[in-house]
Amino acid sequence: MKCAHYRSPLLLLILVFFFMGSVTSAQDNTNPKIHASSIQILMGQSDEVKLPIEFQLALYENLIEQIQKTNKFQHLYRDGDPAASSNTDLVILHSNVYGFKKGSEGKRQLTTVAGATQIKVHCLLTDKAGKFEVAQDVTGNVRFVGGNLRVTFDFAKKVAKIIVTNFQ
Amino acid sequence: MQLAATVLLMGVGSLAKPCLAQDANTGNAISFANTKEVLGLDGLKHNVTGTLAAENGSLVFTKGKKKVVVPATSITEVPTGKDTERAIGGTVGVFSMFAPYGGGRFLSLFRTKIDTLAIEYVDTSGGIHGAIFILRKGNADAAKKALLSQGARTSVPAELEAAARTKPKEKQQ
Repeated sequence: MKCAHYRSPLLLLILVFFFMGSVTSAQDNTNPKIHASSIQILMGQSDEVKLPIEFQLALYENLIEQIQKTNKFQHLYRDGDPAASSNTDLVILHSNVYGFKKGSEGKRQLTTVAGATQIKVHCLLTDKAGKFEVAQDVTGNVRFVGGNLRVTFDFAKKVAKIIVTNFQ
Repeated sequence: MQLAATVLLMGVGSLAKPCLAQDANTGNAISFANTKEVLGLDGLKHNVTGTLAAENGSLVFTKGKKKVVVPATSITEVPTGKDTERAIGGTVGVFSMFAPYGGGRFLSLFRTKIDTLAIEYVDTSGGIHGAIFILRKGNADAAKKALLSQGARTSVPAELEAAARTKPKEKQQ
């Protein structure tokens, strides 16, 4: 008897969640996907914060690796590659680091809650003319397991996810 | 028994210090055993331990049969740094977190001092690459100097970088 009393609000809640989910997925479907056969990944800039060079290099290399894994592009050009300029169907990934907090692996393992490393990057995907295709802020974190450089891997994984959702 | 101990000590000694060998053509050739390539070298996985060498005008990283050669003249930046890593790492380190009575946390207190060496280089098509290495403590400066002697370029000389790292210590005293 008591069980039946709770059943109807629970059913209503499930229905609400179901419709919310279908609305958001419908919104996702309305965004047209971008098509580009090639991408050029530029080295990350850090004008606002002082980013150690090893983090800058790890950020760049992890981005290249993770975007390559998405299989969304036929060609992937590195920063400085002159062959990219001759490609007409190209998007360029710019990343600007605007926040960086170097934590401590030792503190993370000892306390679980302290010592997190965080990197905040403004990512911009433009076409060759500089027209914005996608602009998004991405945050990479290492909260528990792993060294500080793993923050760049976490960031790159998130950028790859953005590429998968926005590109054909 | 004494002989075995001597042999063992010699072996350990060779791991801790860089191996020096004179190269007739290009000055000093130097190699660093047990160097970890964190990422960045083409054809190698992440976190591979091998031997880093500066010889014949190149940076050479060898892991078993695999050999990656980067011409020293293509290296545009060689920054170094100091850090620490967990003494007991890897899978054992992760599983030790589940040890009872905070045993894993206690083990995480034991940390090893390490040196980091990063290189920024340009490939044949002009694309920029980056690679990061972890060396034993005290070896990064020697590795940087060896690479510079082979033809690598840097914006911060090895002496200046070493001096900048020791400055905060002097202030504390």
